[in-house]
Amino acid sequence: MMDFGYSEEGHQGSLGDLRLWRRILAYASSYRMALVAAVLLSLFLTWATLAQPYLVQTAIDRYLTAHEMETAARLSGLGWNSLYYGLLIGLVFFATFAQILLLEYVGQWVMHRLRQDLFAHLLRLDLPFFNSRRTGQLVTRLTNDIQNMNEMFTSVIVTLFNDVLRLAGILVLLFAMNPPLAAIMALFVPLALLITVFFARLARECFRDIRSQLAKINSFLSESLAGIAILQLFHRQNASRATFFALSEEYRRRTFTQIKLFGIFMPLTEFLGSAALAIILWYGGGEILQSRLTLGELVAFISYMRLFFQPLRELSQKYSVVQSAMASAERIFQLLDSKRHIDEPRLPLALPDPRGKLEFRGLRFAYDEDREVLHGLSLVIRPGQTVALVGTTGSGKSTLVNLLLRFYQPQEGSILIDDVDISQLSLERLRTVVGVILQDVFILQDSLLANIVMDTGRGRDEVEEILASTGMAAFVARLPQGLDTPIGEGGLELSTGQKQLLAFARVLCRNPAILVLDEATAAIDTESENILEQAITDSFRGRTSLVIAHRLSTIRRADHIVVMAHGLIVEQGSHEELLQADGHYARLVAMDLKNGL
Amino acid sequence: MAEQTETTIEDPRVNPSSPSTARPQQAASRVPLAQLRSLILPSFRRYRLRVASGLAALIVVDFLQLIIPRFLKEGVDALAAGSASTSQLFRLALVMVAIAIAVVLLRFVWRYLIIGFSRLLEQEVRNRLFGHILLMDAPFFEKHGPGDLMAHSSNDLGAVQMACGMGVVAAVDALVMSLAAIAFMAAIDPMLTLLALTPMPFLAIATRKLSARLHRRFTTVQEVFSQLTEFSRTSLLSIGLLKAYTMEAFQAARFDKLGQGYVRGNLKVAVIQGLITPLATLAGSAGMLMVLYFGGRLVISASITLGDFVAFITYLYMLIWPMMAIGWVANLVQRGLTSLNRIHSLTASTPLLVDPPAAPGQAMVARPGFVVEHLTFRYPAGATPVLNGLSLSLGPGIHGITGRTGSGKTTLCRLLTRLYPVEDGMLFFAGSDVNQLPLDYLRAHIAFVSQEPVLFSDTIAANIALGRDGASREEIVAAARAAAIHDDIERLPESYETLIGERGVKLSGGQRQRLALARALLCDRPLLIVDDGLSAVDTATEHQVFSGLREHFHGKTVIVVSNRIKLLSMTDHIVVLADGRVEDQGDHDHLLRVNALYRTMHDKQMRQDDSGERQP
Repeated sequence: MMDFGYSEEGHQGSLGDLRLWRRILAYASSYRMALVAAVLLSLFLTWATLAQPYLVQTAIDRYLTAHEMETAARLSGLGWNSLYYGLLIGLVFFATFAQILLLEYVGQWVMHRLRQDLFAHLLRLDLPFFNSRRTGQLVTRLTNDIQNMNEMFTSVIVTLFNDVLRLAGILVLLFAMNPPLAAIMALFVPLALLITVFFARLARECFRDIRSQLAKINSFLSESLAGIAILQLFHRQNASRATFFALSEEYRRRTFTQIKLFGIFMPLTEFLGSAALAIILWYGGGEILQSRLTLGELVAFISYMRLFFQPLRELSQKYSVVQSAMASAERIFQLLDSKRHIDEPRLPLALPDPRGKLEFRGLRFAYDEDREVLHGLSLVIRPGQTVALVGTTGSGKSTLVNLLLRFYQPQEGSILIDDVDISQLSLERLRTVVGVILQDVFILQDSLLANIVMDTGRGRDEVEEILASTGMAAFVARLPQGLDTPIGEGGLELSTGQKQLLAFARVLCRNPAILVLDEATAAIDTESENILEQAITDSFRGRTSLVIAHRLSTIRRADHIVVMAHGLIVEQGSHEELLQADGHYARLVAMDLKNGL
Repeated sequence: MAEQTETTIEDPRVNPSSPSTARPQQAASRVPLAQLRSLILPSFRRYRLRVASGLAALIVVDFLQLIIPRFLKEGVDALAAGSASTSQLFRLALVMVAIAIAVVLLRFVWRYLIIGFSRLLEQEVRNRLFGHILLMDAPFFEKHGPGDLMAHSSNDLGAVQMACGMGVVAAVDALVMSLAAIAFMAAIDPMLTLLALTPMPFLAIATRKLSARLHRRFTTVQEVFSQLTEFSRTSLLSIGLLKAYTMEAFQAARFDKLGQGYVRGNLKVAVIQGLITPLATLAGSAGMLMVLYFGGRLVISASITLGDFVAFITYLYMLIWPMMAIGWVANLVQRGLTSLNRIHSLTASTPLLVDPPAAPGQAMVARPGFVVEHLTFRYPAGATPVLNGLSLSLGPGIHGITGRTGSGKTTLCRLLTRLYPVEDGMLFFAGSDVNQLPLDYLRAHIAFVSQEPVLFSDTIAANIALGRDGASREEIVAAARAAAIHDDIERLPESYETLIGERGVKLSGGQRQRLALARALLCDRPLLIVDDGLSAVDTATEHQVFSGLREHFHGKTVIVVSNRIKLLSMTDHIVVLADGRVEDQGDHDHLLRVNALYRTMHDKQMRQDDSGERQP
């Protein structure tokens, strides 16, 4: 299987990957106008920023040093000049504000679309994909990687574009004023870039070290807090303290490395600025003495120099941001390109009114190539029949359910509902016809009612009716606010039994033709268990039901018991018949059913 | 130009993944400043030389930076007057470079000293906090959940560090720079100085107001971000369930809603961020405008020289950063104080469990037992008592404790292990009131297996040997065998050296429980308490383990909480709890006769008996 090269930090995207750029731009294409506006604003801002020192320079050259002019004319000229300057800075303010908002707007919505696409794509992928991935990795794609890409829109366009433009503009102006001096100044560009890119690389490593140590401290802390009682009971406080202090010392040491690095590099760019100033004064002053430069131009030179070093510093900072954004983009698009293993039919059958006949025909299946779990299993369940699956761990019971839901594709054989191969149905239709109650439930942080109804659009009355008809109203009645009790995080914590009851209610809302129940293995409190037994009796009536059973009461309620071992059916029949036969089933019962999970 | 901090005013993108930055600033009751100082003052005192030299270096840097424009002015003036010579210009340039080099060196010095100090301080407070947490009791942890404490450890410490490091630097720097720059400007022309400065107070106020608001909005965004993360995490973790219920579209729609909220939150942040930066530029430029117009008039009227004019502009640029910094520092200090306040409320809290001083040379009790007398207990946050006048004697022998959920079984275990305080005269250990006994002394008698096994990210061997440092490999293996986990361990890639936990091998619930049991057995203490600690282990293994325990613990005290009749029937004495009281106690047969709950449990679990099972 393809590996994504899970290297969050080490891998750096290449800036020149045109294919990647095209895909990114494709996402941004619906915001074309906004982007064009942002670029126009950029051009304006560059011009306006450069025009400011120019206005000061003209003021000096035309009016301040023009001793031969009349004072009144000099004053009014200065007044006009100042007015232009005032107008310009007002415009710059609004344009900058507009540009920041515009780009944030585009960036955020593009990222939202990308995140949404990625999430929907992930949900469509099938289980083998998830088995080979860590959830944390995928979550990182959805959150931090997308966040990183957002930087692309705000930083790349604003900073790269603005800064490059400004740098170029400044250099042009400088060359126009005094080519030799400008040439000297131009030498600072590669020098500053070199220093800062080098620094950015070191700083990244430094921060990574610090972050990873902080993560260590945090996970140690989180573990200690989770097990604080055990630590105290086993008298481990001193050992824990020593470990923590060592971690904390290492963290401090790493922050010191960072301090030293910053201590060396941060002043260095400033130093370049001061050095440039000194050169301008010395060399530029010399040029003035030889009348090749005016005093106003010298002052302008000094101002431009200030404008010059700021983008230079930012450029190199953003360089690493863009690099990591590109790396994120690459990972995201790779994930978006991952294919699923199970294909849905192009023209799915509707299966309008299923009767609920279920047939497993010669199923062979292996999760890993070399370990077959099912070895040609066949089983027919008549409409309305209740079948209990019994067997030890690893006998293949859960695999059967996984295949029935098409989480996986059997290597051989097929599964048919009403004599239709399930691969002819859309996954959604299949999973509506087959309702499953698994041991685990996905709980939304919402009311119990919302958790039962979900997207079925059922009304409160309908839910109450379903609950009443299966005896589950008692379960709801015991909760503090009935159907409106908030559950999930921050709400009521449901017990194992209550969770299974919720799953039951949820499935019944969908009125499936075939019901699959994976009975809870964990102990269930007696009251929930009584309600559950009632619910099972009521809802199995008139429905094809398949139960992975762990409780004797459930097994005895089944019309037919199927005993599985090592991926095959080894016995089937009624409870009495099987006990009589004195085979696998009798042994399982004797061993205590709880053992046969 | 003044020192720029590496962390800009506040960038929401600086660290989007930081864990739960999204803690609303709870208004912990205000504590007098003097008490807060007690947290950080010792560090300041210890490193006073370091801090003082750092600040001195910082101030020197500021003055050196202020001198550079003086040389520039000298040069420009000489050029304007036509009196400049190449050698004079060269000398000026050389001096400027020399000063710049000094600035580089001194900057390194202050950064190393002051920022380094803030890290040292952070370390001291962090260690103190952790040391304190280790001493706290269960009621404390009930009040402060792990997420809460984690947030204190990362965010609050970070805020304090920032305030004491960059905060101090920025405050001193801003103060010195602005005062000096203003003084230099005033020396050139006081009136012009006033005019040039008019926009600055507005900038300081606006930055302060805006960055406070930015922080609030940013906090909200972070909250939504962690919701988004949590939502995708839980969705992907339960992908099978989502698919089984065809919830894909439903989940995607909910994700969309969250995502839109996130976008809106970010845009709200952007509005403020989009104001702060151009505002600073605007204020600087407005000052420039003042200098250009009024300063220009002064040059024309020959009140000041052109060199003054240029130097003035340079000083003005120097003021922009300090003005922005004032607002920033105010927020930094405020946040640091709030965090310090929260940390203080943790370190100031004392455990409810008072630990009497250890009587020297108190000998261990060989066959300890507990006597519980009219024990009534309610949790600090609970309204109704969980234990309600419970009386019970637990001497040497094996005791089984059972009862419905909420009957008080786990609470009883927690009190026996002294995780929660009890009142005087209710709980006796080996004849003494537990409140008279040092915690460590009492706990040294007890080996405990909790309901949820607690394992640490370490090797299997280290996890088993948690309660006994320096246990030999043979002893560890023996304990693992007794807990029926040895074979499982042998099958792991690196046997006893296999790493478990976050970065290691995942164990099943049953394996984890048996590992926790092995740990307790290795301690070889006279009292063993197992709080439903084998619920995920199958009954056959459980049976095997407990048969071994009977021999091992002969004459010692074992207390086992369980709802499994088979296990209970193997104990000497069974206690049925109901509503925090002893409902019935006695042996298996006795309880079958007298206790309805016990009988029901028995019938349910043993139903196979009357369905033809042939018992051995």
